[in-house]
Amino acid sequence: MIVFQVLSLIIWLLLVPLAIGLLPASLLNSRQQKPGVILLFGYLIMFAVFELMAIPVVLTVNYHGMTVLSSWFTVTTLGLAVAGMVSQAYVRRKTGKPLLTLSGQQLLDVGQRHKITMEEKIVWLIFLLLVGFQLYMAFTRASFDGDDAYYVVQSLTAQQQDVLYRREPDTGISTILDMRHALAVFPLWLSFIAVKSDIHATIVAHSIIPLILLPLSYLLYFQIGRSLLGRKRDMLPMFMVIMALIQMFGNVSIYTNETFLMTRTWQGKSFASNFILPAVLWLFLWIFEENTEKNTEGNIKVSILWILLGAANWAAGMSSSMAIFLTAMLSGALGFFMMIRKRKFMILVKTGLACIPSAIYVLLYMFLS
Amino acid sequence: MYGIFMESVVILKLYTGLRYLAPLYLAGLIYLLITEKEKRIRTLIVYVPMAILAVYLCPLFRWFFVWMDQGGETYYRVLWLLPMGITITYAGCRLFAAHKRIGLIVMSLAVMLGGTYVYNSQYISKAENLYHIPQTVVAVCDYLKENEETDYIQAVFPEELVHFVRQYDADIGMPYGRSMLVPQWGYYNAVHEAMEKSEVIDVEALLEATRATLCNYVILHENQPLSDDPATYRMELMSNIDGYLIYKDVEVEQIIIEEYLPYM
Repeated sequence: MIVFQVLSLIIWLLLVPLAIGLLPASLLNSRQQKPGVILLFGYLIMFAVFELMAIPVVLTVNYHGMTVLSSWFTVTTLGLAVAGMVSQAYVRRKTGKPLLTLSGQQLLDVGQRHKITMEEKIVWLIFLLLVGFQLYMAFTRASFDGDDAYYVVQSLTAQQQDVLYRREPDTGISTILDMRHALAVFPLWLSFIAVKSDIHATIVAHSIIPLILLPLSYLLYFQIGRSLLGRKRDMLPMFMVIMALIQMFGNVSIYTNETFLMTRTWQGKSFASNFILPAVLWLFLWIFEENTEKNTEGNIKVSILWILLGAANWAAGMSSSMAIFLTAMLSGALGFFMMIRKRKFMILVKTGLACIPSAIYVLLYMFLS
Repeated sequence: MYGIFMESVVILKLYTGLRYLAPLYLAGLIYLLITEKEKRIRTLIVYVPMAILAVYLCPLFRWFFVWMDQGGETYYRVLWLLPMGITITYAGCRLFAAHKRIGLIVMSLAVMLGGTYVYNSQYISKAENLYHIPQTVVAVCDYLKENEETDYIQAVFPEELVHFVRQYDADIGMPYGRSMLVPQWGYYNAVHEAMEKSEVIDVEALLEATRATLCNYVILHENQPLSDDPATYRMELMSNIDGYLIYKDVEVEQIIIEEYLPYM
């Protein structure tokens, strides 16, 4: 049983997102096809697809909603994963090299020319120890939050009763859909993982998901650091160590995104502030990197990044209607200022297009409310 | 307008906890404003956050947000758009680029001294199980499931257990949940009123309320003062788990079996 459960978690939390990520990654140049990037791409697409499938099911299926959602999402994501693997095979045949290799150099993403010094290795080790400690604490320490009595119970209700948002979490009685929360389907993703792995949804939320979402946030910070530091790759381990310390010491109040990451990792709010918003910043940093813009095949590649920005905007809805507003606001601000900087109106148009999912979500929310 | 502006300032203060990470962020922002040469980074990491901060402080925006959010309790989340951690770290890396070892030590100390260690939080404790909920809740819920002949369990729990019961078993119903524990939300529930509003529970009043909601179990702490012995009201003491007394309401159980079960 435990073997099946662990295997299911590996499939749904690692292999499937990786395979899905191969699809957009196949359109990037080989320098950019790194395992971390592929995994982040996969997660962005997977979350966007989940939101897309979950909303109609939540709105229209009264009974056995989780069964329906789980079936649809399984088929779709597996289809996307297969498509990703086909694209991997295609790239391998075309270039002679696979998209995804797991060499140390590729995993650290430091580039072929950069030789990692002993000092850097030590600092990387410090970073890994800090993250290891955080994961250990996430697994062995319980963090009390009153909102769990809403969100985690929704996940568990979907798993145990096969009903989506139609039970009052406080009491368990039947209720009508509460639109404020019904479109925010992050608890249902937890439930999906629980159903697939046959693990209690509360265990998934409190003990398993932090082990995934914490590293995913660091993966994003790693990509952001890489983009900010450019050729100064020797600074990257220091960047990551300080970032890790900031997460541990950022609990200056109950409101900071660091507090949410460390104490409410499994809630949609933390997902928005520590995955979606950094992902938006990362994509903007990448889109306007000099070599991305000047790349001869750049158009397709940059288009992929804009599409992923759209996916991030849509996936933000998994968290809450407020998160989708904040994500669109951040995208809009970044796009607007880059338009001024570059004097290209098209940047604002593309940003606007990437925010269309947010607009659809808001309209849907207003219509249903 | 000034009042709305000051509300935003207060929220900002609360957000920063008046610790030194916020001034550190401000210092990093100013440092990058002066020294950062790459326009892309200046724009995305410096100008945009400054603009967002200005928008955050703008009373009109707050007014719009409060209207949109129907309350504005979540206004602090606008501050999530400021990449504080990234800016502090990047500015530190740039500042100490030539002295990495010293930089790492200085920056680490600045963050540790300027922040608050999350694992010292009063809300974090050693997990008692993989669910990360009190083991007592697990034991009580398991007991109810194992000993209830029907599938119907409607139980009232003391406040300290209320948050966790349905996180462990969504099939267990409760007359009230977490919403009743947040005074500022102002909800009313007769069972909660009888259970928590007086030091000594009036058993007759409590059972009148629980029976109206068809509660077949009442869980009370053994130290909870009671007006009467519940046994005199057809309450059967089933067990004592970790100091919590589990009472079964025989009267409600009979109603469930005779009147409701045939239709369930």
